[in-house]
Amino acid sequence: MAEFVRLDSSTSRHTMDKSITLPPDEIFRNLENAKRFAIDIGGSLTKLAYYSTVQHKVAKVRSFDKATKVNIPLYEISVQEEVTARLHFIKFENAYIETCLDFIKDHLVNTETKVIKATGGGAHKFKELIERKLGLKVDKEDEMTCLIKGCNFVLRNIPHEAFVYAKHADSEFRFQTTQPDIFPYLLVNIGSGVSIVKVESEDKFERIGGSSIGGGTFWGLGALLTKTKRFDELLQLASKGQHTSVDMLVKDIYGGSYGSLGLTGDLIASSFGKSATADKEFSKEDMAKSLLHMISNDIGQLACLYAKLHNLSRVYFGGFFIRGHPVTMHTITYSINFFTKGEVQALFLRHEGYLGAIGAFLKGAEEDNPNQYSWGENYAGSSGLMSVSPDMNPMQRARSGTFDMLEMDRLERQLVNLPLLQDPSSYIPDTMDLTEDALAREYWLYCFEEALDGVVKRAVASQPDMPEAAERAEKFRQKYRHKLQTLRHQPFAYGSLTVRSLLDTREHCLNEFNFPDPYSKIKQNENDIALKYYQKAVKSLEELSWEERQFALVRGVLAGNVFDWGAKAVSEMTLGPQIWHLGLIYLFIFFSSERPWLVDSYDQWLERLRGPPHKCALFFVDNSGVDIILGVIPFVRELLSRGTEVVLASNSGPALNDVTNGELQILTERIAAMDPVIQAGLREDRLTLVQSGSSSPCLDLSRLDKVLAQVVRERQTDLVIIEGMGRAIHTNYYAMLSCESLKMAVIKNSWLADRLGGKLFSVVFKYEVPAGKPSQGSAAVTPS
Amino acid sequence: IFFSTSRHTMDKSITLPPDEIFRNLENAKRFAIDIGGSLTKLAYYSTVQHKVAKVRSFDKATKVNIPEAASDKLYEISVQEEVTARLHFIKFENAYIETCLDFIKDHLVNTETKVIKATGGGAHKFKELIERKLGLKVDKEDEMTCLIKGCNFVLRNIPHEAFVYAKHADSEFRFQTTQPDIFPYLLVNIGSGVSIVKVESEDKFERIGGSSIGGGTFWGLGALLTKTKRFDELLQLASKGQHTSVDMLVKDIYGGSYGSLGLTGDLIASSFGKSATADKEFSKEDMAKSLLHMISNDIGQLACLYAKLHNLSRVYFGGFFIRGHPVTMHTITYSINFFTKGEVQALFLRHEGYLGAIGAFLKGAEEDNPNQYSWGENYAGSSGLMSVSPDMNPMQRARSGTFDMLEMDRLERQLVNLPLLQDPSSYIPDTMDLTEDALAREYWLYCFEEALDGVVKRAVASQPDMPEAAERAEKFRQKYRHKLQTLRHQPL
Repeated sequence: MAEFVRLDSSTSRHTMDKSITLPPDEIFRNLENAKRFAIDIGGSLTKLAYYSTVQHKVAKVRSFDKATKVNIPLYEISVQEEVTARLHFIKFENAYIETCLDFIKDHLVNTETKVIKATGGGAHKFKELIERKLGLKVDKEDEMTCLIKGCNFVLRNIPHEAFVYAKHADSEFRFQTTQPDIFPYLLVNIGSGVSIVKVESEDKFERIGGSSIGGGTFWGLGALLTKTKRFDELLQLASKGQHTSVDMLVKDIYGGSYGSLGLTGDLIASSFGKSATADKEFSKEDMAKSLLHMISNDIGQLACLYAKLHNLSRVYFGGFFIRGHPVTMHTITYSINFFTKGEVQALFLRHEGYLGAIGAFLKGAEEDNPNQYSWGENYAGSSGLMSVSPDMNPMQRARSGTFDMLEMDRLERQLVNLPLLQDPSSYIPDTMDLTEDALAREYWLYCFEEALDGVVKRAVASQPDMPEAAERAEKFRQKYRHKLQTLRHQPFAYGSLTVRSLLDTREHCLNEFNFPDPYSKIKQNENDIALKYYQKAVKSLEELSWEERQFALVRGVLAGNVFDWGAKAVSEMTLGPQIWHLGLIYLFIFFSSERPWLVDSYDQWLERLRGPPHKCALFFVDNSGVDIILGVIPFVRELLSRGTEVVLASNSGPALNDVTNGELQILTERIAAMDPVIQAGLREDRLTLVQSGSSSPCLDLSRLDKVLAQVVRERQTDLVIIEGMGRAIHTNYYAMLSCESLKMAVIKNSWLADRLGGKLFSVVFKYEVPAGKPSQGSAAVTPS
Repeated sequence: IFFSTSRHTMDKSITLPPDEIFRNLENAKRFAIDIGGSLTKLAYYSTVQHKVAKVRSFDKATKVNIPEAASDKLYEISVQEEVTARLHFIKFENAYIETCLDFIKDHLVNTETKVIKATGGGAHKFKELIERKLGLKVDKEDEMTCLIKGCNFVLRNIPHEAFVYAKHADSEFRFQTTQPDIFPYLLVNIGSGVSIVKVESEDKFERIGGSSIGGGTFWGLGALLTKTKRFDELLQLASKGQHTSVDMLVKDIYGGSYGSLGLTGDLIASSFGKSATADKEFSKEDMAKSLLHMISNDIGQLACLYAKLHNLSRVYFGGFFIRGHPVTMHTITYSINFFTKGEVQALFLRHEGYLGAIGAFLKGAEEDNPNQYSWGENYAGSSGLMSVSPDMNPMQRARSGTFDMLEMDRLERQLVNLPLLQDPSSYIPDTMDLTEDALAREYWLYCFEEALDGVVKRAVASQPDMPEAAERAEKFRQKYRHKLQTLRHQPL
């Protein structure tokens, strides 16, 4: 069964502090706009879900009227209120259900809500209470259907949702990349009993098996054997015990291994076999451990057999037996490895506890068709994995009144894979997994903490006319620092820890406290200045010979890319905007003498340029100002002149000083007014601007705007250019594309440069042609 | 493969005269022994001298001289001594092993025997004792190989060896006809743990799976939960308990069935699920029953999955968890029916307890090539199914010193199917199955008992020149009447 029901929970409850330790309005957020409630009441935990809208500030850019053009900046920045949809999921112990319902009732404003969807074994027990307290009709939904719906939803929408657990590995959690096709899979739900469900599509699943030996058996037999009534305590006992004193091993019977049958001596021949005849007393710990092994091994074997019978390779485990318990994840993983000899991996889910609630919510929201949208985990509003696990947070657990939260934002755009990925199922955006690399993790966490003061200052400075900005900025600082601290102890809290996730978490936290775009003014300024140099730059480039020009264009992109406010080394230069051009000249000289670069396939690129033009180039751009205007646009201009169509992909929302789609639209218009090549490109639709769908300084090619994917396909794109450290080094450095690709970046971080074998301001120029594709030049990358 | 270290005390007197148990020891050779957790199985090969009636045509040349009275006889009848090969298998509790070894030593005449084949988990423990007592070298044989060899042998040689168990049917036991081709099959051996073995041919088998949740788990957890240390007593407790007071059923969670998943309300959702949160005391009987269900269902499901995965339809169950215990045969059968919806039948073996000993013996007798002969069960020298089961024979069990025997005679000729049978696998020689037809059984048992006097008279009359014939005929009468009485209570 999916969930364990404590039929007599009132009688056997241990006393606990019922005070809620977090202010409830930080838990049940955005209740005033809440609608579509769903609740999943399990044996000990209640999971509440609701849909709400969040008003938050967004920075918008708008061209000034051409009539008023004189003496004012390039474009107008305005902060607007925007309403976005957000899903809230909150998990708390059943003991708090009444307090929570009261709080919800008091804050619920929306009167359209008439119904609450309910699922879980406990739904019928609390039906009357919920109806009375909330005045909503409880509408019960099938438990298994909700579970599967929820599972499909998280697998599809949350990157790094699934993970492999390895107790003794460098990193306990190895997160799996989101698969483009999640079906078919096997879900083994270990509640009081075990349900084994084969899921074939969104709407098709079948319970193909089950077992009565599950979490309830561990709990029930454990309670009888050890007189310990609490499930968590039983697990604690088990983690300290020695099963070999209770179990009969192969070597206890045969004196060693049973070689001819391939059974090692340490294999358990008979669970509790020793207690059959030995008259001695067994310790609670040992019996609990033996019981845990017995049950985990049994479930593991059944899961493997069903997976084999139905030819399924993905097996997810969930249910209260697993939920946040490293002990049970370890024994299940061990069992699966043993029985399948590594052919099948035991997979666990970060948000496993929420599946039923998510599913029940989705059932109620079917008319809104939530599956047509893409959703993103909001790192600012979500607790990490195992935030309430007793093993991870003994202090927190002792207080017992802990709440776990998950928030998901509805993304404006549906996100899909870049059609040019060579193998979408093996694509991993991030170059470095900080969960697995302790040294790298240390460095980057330190780095982000160091930079925090600067970010706070920048945030305050971005809103000079708002007196409470300093206060909000301080809240932001506390929240983000807390996240960083959590990640130091639990690097796996939000899936694989990467530079990208650290950057994204910072953006989410800034948004959370209404700093939608701290760099908007800086970007505006930079763009303004850079634009003034555009014509001069183009003219000087045109004076060069063809070959000189190709090199100057590349150098220009690289030099421009140095102007990155996100990079520590650059932000420390404290150059005033007035002297950007001086810096530019300096850097031009700086780079011209640097070849061969750290990664240098420029010769192959040049060779390729001598050949026929590309059909269409997709260019993921990076920073605003010098980078986009004096580096990227001239490069694009050359491509257009060669007869190559260009698609410029920029961020949908702000991140650092990255140019956003809105800004880029204005910039290209302005440039078009000065430059007939760009103008013709726009007019003839050979230069197109698209949104990436992202608001991150990094780039996940598996989650891109659907429109972008469509344009890429329609235009038969045969070249992908990725620029900048965030997009081409932190992510996608190893990404394999099915067409030619060019990755250009300057490494503006000495630690990373060191890691890659170079030094600060090393250049990466990586031109690749997929194997088997004919090309003009050689495809080889030649590092220095 | 379970081996017990702490024996409870029991009456060590042997209640049957040992020479009725260890028969034909004087000619015995090729010993094999299988020592399990509680029972020892001894096997030996011997030869039996017995009288056969031979007929012979009179010589034409000598025809003239024969007496007038005999001259009109078609042929001559003579009684001759003939030596035939017989396999003896004896099963007794480990407690008697020393007494038995002494008896064997005293009666062992054949001095060619140098070696005794040994198998079973206890073989290494008693190795020294056996070597000292018998003066034979203990030669250990692989347990699983012996088990499979023995299984193949009984399936091939003993008609009605395998049976299906149905607790509530007219006849609890439905015997299977011997299949011309016994392979492939799945053997699920439930000892302390469970071994699941796929047998593909005489020499090819593979342990494809197993589980640590087996007889030892029932015994071990049962002992911890109920403070009852004896396996048989635990089964007795289980047969009296109600699992529903300890187990959480589907209806306990959902108030009824879970229709959309096809789960009935009475299905066990969680074994021992109720004891997780209820503060009450549970009865020993109920806990034992819940444990029995838990283990039987689990093994049943595993067996089904392996059978499906390897496409096997014949699944035999054995091991001490099963051996002669209707309770466990019932729960295993129930579980198999549940999980395969009747597609796979749980099969049990009449001589399951002897498999290891038979196999070990066959390993030692390979030079005699016993597989080239056909063998027949000697009903006169063999105990019936469950002769020592506590449920069937509580009286006998109380005495505890019971011996179970199996004797097999080597047939002079190898027996095969009539090639003209339309379907050898469905051929059943007998027209009427008296195990299934109580009225017919009553009638025929009565009939044979009625006829016994006549048969005895005829036997005595057939040997007019032998004065002790009457005495022997009387022994025959007693033995056969005892068999008939046994069959009345245990038609199987």
